[in-house]
Amino acid sequence: MKPFTYVVPKSLAEASEAGKQPNTVLKGAGVDLIDRMKERLQTPERIVNLLPLKDELAGVAVEASGELKIGATTTIAQLEQHEALANPALAGLQAAAALTASPQIRNRATVAGNILQFTRCWYVRSEAFHCLHGGRGPTCLAMTGENRYHAVLGWMDCVRVHPSNLAPPLLALDAEYSTRLGDKVRRRKFTDLFPAEPRAQTAEHTLEAGEIVTAIHVPKPAAGTRTAYCESREKLTFDWATTACAVKVVLAGGKIAAASVVLGAVAPVPLPRPKAAALLLGEAPSATLFQKVAEAAYAGASPLAHNDYKLVVGKAIVREALEQATR
Amino acid sequence: MTVPSDRGFSRRSFLKGSAVAGIATTGLTAAAHAVPAAPESFGPGRHEIALLVNGKEQKVTVETRTTLLDALRDGLDLTGCKKVCDRGSCGGCTVLMNGEPVTGCLVLAMDAVGQSLTTVESLTEGDTPHALVQNFVKCDAMQCGFCTPGMVMSSLACLQKRGKPTEEQMRTDLSGNLCRCGTYGRVMEAIQRTAAGGTGGGK
Repeated sequence: MKPFTYVVPKSLAEASEAGKQPNTVLKGAGVDLIDRMKERLQTPERIVNLLPLKDELAGVAVEASGELKIGATTTIAQLEQHEALANPALAGLQAAAALTASPQIRNRATVAGNILQFTRCWYVRSEAFHCLHGGRGPTCLAMTGENRYHAVLGWMDCVRVHPSNLAPPLLALDAEYSTRLGDKVRRRKFTDLFPAEPRAQTAEHTLEAGEIVTAIHVPKPAAGTRTAYCESREKLTFDWATTACAVKVVLAGGKIAAASVVLGAVAPVPLPRPKAAALLLGEAPSATLFQKVAEAAYAGASPLAHNDYKLVVGKAIVREALEQATR
Repeated sequence: MTVPSDRGFSRRSFLKGSAVAGIATTGLTAAAHAVPAAPESFGPGRHEIALLVNGKEQKVTVETRTTLLDALRDGLDLTGCKKVCDRGSCGGCTVLMNGEPVTGCLVLAMDAVGQSLTTVESLTEGDTPHALVQNFVKCDAMQCGFCTPGMVMSSLACLQKRGKPTEEQMRTDLSGNLCRCGTYGRVMEAIQRTAAGGTGGGK
């Protein structure tokens, strides 16, 4: 790691102001950041530590409106273990938190950090490779290289995948996020956090310099809401997903009244599949229906040389998530 | 005590660091007139911090980039935690922070200030080793021993959290610790024996 100045802000305004300075990074636990700094992929001059701002940024609370507010620096373990998540409507979010990395990482890593982390593409994350991402080289090396963990959907000139476990269930639950930039407080839909055109030159998220995610808001789920999250991977524990799927269904009288399907680990952004979800509306849960939805979720996929297995496995994961949510 | 300077700290980076420090100082002095409330900052050079390790507050000199693992091993001579992958992938550097296992290699020493830290050394203080350590020996729960201190710390956290853990709970709690010799079965046996003996610090 290159030496840096460690800044301890006393307020969000101060943190945001410090974060706007050139060559400055805002840090939560730093799990992803320290890793990249050790690889010298990122060499900031200043790091602004957000962890001391616990009152402003940490903790989970159910608001008077029934909305769930998740502070940005809440750890993944705190989220998973919070009593509010013991609810069929939030089961997908709880499962995603429980499946993330290892106990050691979950005790440390923050919710916002999980969502804003850098891609895990092995070309992007190695100093030895000069790929298109971040303008380090002329081409995407994964596109023609070792790409078994890479994108099959929604990719443009860079085939990285978005690694967050928590983003798909939060998107399925129509979550929103609040940010602070200087004195400006904004609240937006979760989809706005990810780039519409995820090119190699585009950051993984749409935050401006110095903009701090302060909280994530999950609206009060409608009666009969159930969510589920499933992922495929090579190891039973402590691994990255090869494909993931979060689903939300609202069951009324044995029929599905509302639904969302969101894919993870198969595209450069967490990917809502509204056309697939629409097939569920007004229907009773069945294996045939789920098969149709799974096919639709992967419609238009363009697999690379080594990752067409993701279509087969990914569709099974969509079916599994739907079965769990309607069981 | 000081983190030895040969650990990734070259003359070149020292000179660069000094230059940056010089500029930063000038910058701060100039800014002090315009913005009175500049946030507190440390580094990039060395400075002393206090870490609360195994119930004792200890002074250690670190850089802002020093990890908790390096501060413990090189600064405080607590070499129980092992530097294996240095990327949070193996669990060899597991220590407890406020009772919860964390990987010391992915925590900045600066971030550990004010937190209660427990290392494997706390289990062998005094004449009688902790029951869990004794059971690791009795069950022969190690081969090369490199993962063992981290494995012991995750096992300790498992016992403290669960009391009498089920096999599934042990599998979950040990999932962040890799053992290339494959001692997992014996580690779980050691945890179960400690839980049965009631001296594992459980509930």
